[in-house]
Amino acid sequence: MPFFHEKAWSPYAAGVLIGLLQIPAFLMIETALGASSSYVTVGDAVASWLDPSLLKIDYVAKHLAATAKNLWQVALVTGIAIGAFISMRMSGARRQPISPIWARALGSSSSSLRYGVAFVAGFLMLFGARIADGCTSGHGLSGMAQLSVGSTVAVAAMFAGGIVTASLLLRRI
Amino acid sequence: MSSSVGIAILTGLLMGIVFGIALEKSRVFEPGMIVGQMQLRNFIMLKIFLTAVATGAVVLAVLNGFGFVKLQPKATLYAADLAGGALLGAGIALAGACPGTTLAQIGVGYRDALFTLAGGLCGAVAFSYAQPWLDKALIGTGPKLIFTDLVGIPFWQGAIGLSAVIAVILVLMERARSWRNDLGQDSDGNFAGGAEPFRHRAAPAE
Repeated sequence: MPFFHEKAWSPYAAGVLIGLLQIPAFLMIETALGASSSYVTVGDAVASWLDPSLLKIDYVAKHLAATAKNLWQVALVTGIAIGAFISMRMSGARRQPISPIWARALGSSSSSLRYGVAFVAGFLMLFGARIADGCTSGHGLSGMAQLSVGSTVAVAAMFAGGIVTASLLLRRI
Repeated sequence: MSSSVGIAILTGLLMGIVFGIALEKSRVFEPGMIVGQMQLRNFIMLKIFLTAVATGAVVLAVLNGFGFVKLQPKATLYAADLAGGALLGAGIALAGACPGTTLAQIGVGYRDALFTLAGGLCGAVAFSYAQPWLDKALIGTGPKLIFTDLVGIPFWQGAIGLSAVIAVILVLMERARSWRNDLGQDSDGNFAGGAEPFRHRAAPAE
């Protein structure tokens, strides 16, 4: 299939494909597309093994229950990594260990600096997503498609936070 | 494990593979695309996002309109949505990824994405510890509001209306600047030639 050997698809083709994934999500799992609660399921599974008292928090117990919804989302994000790997191998779009844009965005080509920034960024991203109860997928793709008022507010705040941060803390790429 | 959970895991894996292929082929998982979008110089992320929202809205207009599925909107929590959304956005800009695309970056071999993932797992655990307190102090509870209920029309009409508006916006955006012009040198949203390569710890000269 030559389609799969191309490096770049139109954003409209990819967007339609992603939007269609709501069909199996709603029909089979009775939920909407989302990604960030899987971080709670996986992170808390490890953390509660080190500190069993964590299990007394209802929020943790709810995310660690072996329900279809919880494990479906962990499988979904695992599948994202597999799908991206397959797609990259088919098109031969090999990547450097770090994207070349970071040397300019951070004003430094130190890989340790990039790793440190990435860790802090991941922390902020998930701490924020859990406060808001959703990320780009749950609030963005799914919440906006459902015309949710709260999700629209969260997405506006997300783009505002992202634009301010990328303009003030990062250099022009 | 019940068989329904097993089916859910298999469904999730297959859906994730399709999702991962779409993210990789569309190049939206690239840090160059996401940072470029947040610096308002690259619009591939917004185009994919709006297309996926419009498609999802049409899908749900049909599935919900004919009574096959119930909507699953999240509660409206203004303070939490604003504060959490802003933190999430700051993290996305610095990660050059969102929680889902971090996994796509790992799949193609971006090493820094492993640190984003580790930070994300720690952030989720830190939130879990703070959740009982944050829930009282900031998050609270709220109604599951959707815009069509506020104006008193059926969901499907609002969803089709939103898709139509998005379609017009996308046509205008594409006319202003084609997505092909945003791809960059190696379909990675990178436009500067001869960027200095990253030094790695294994490299002798440091």
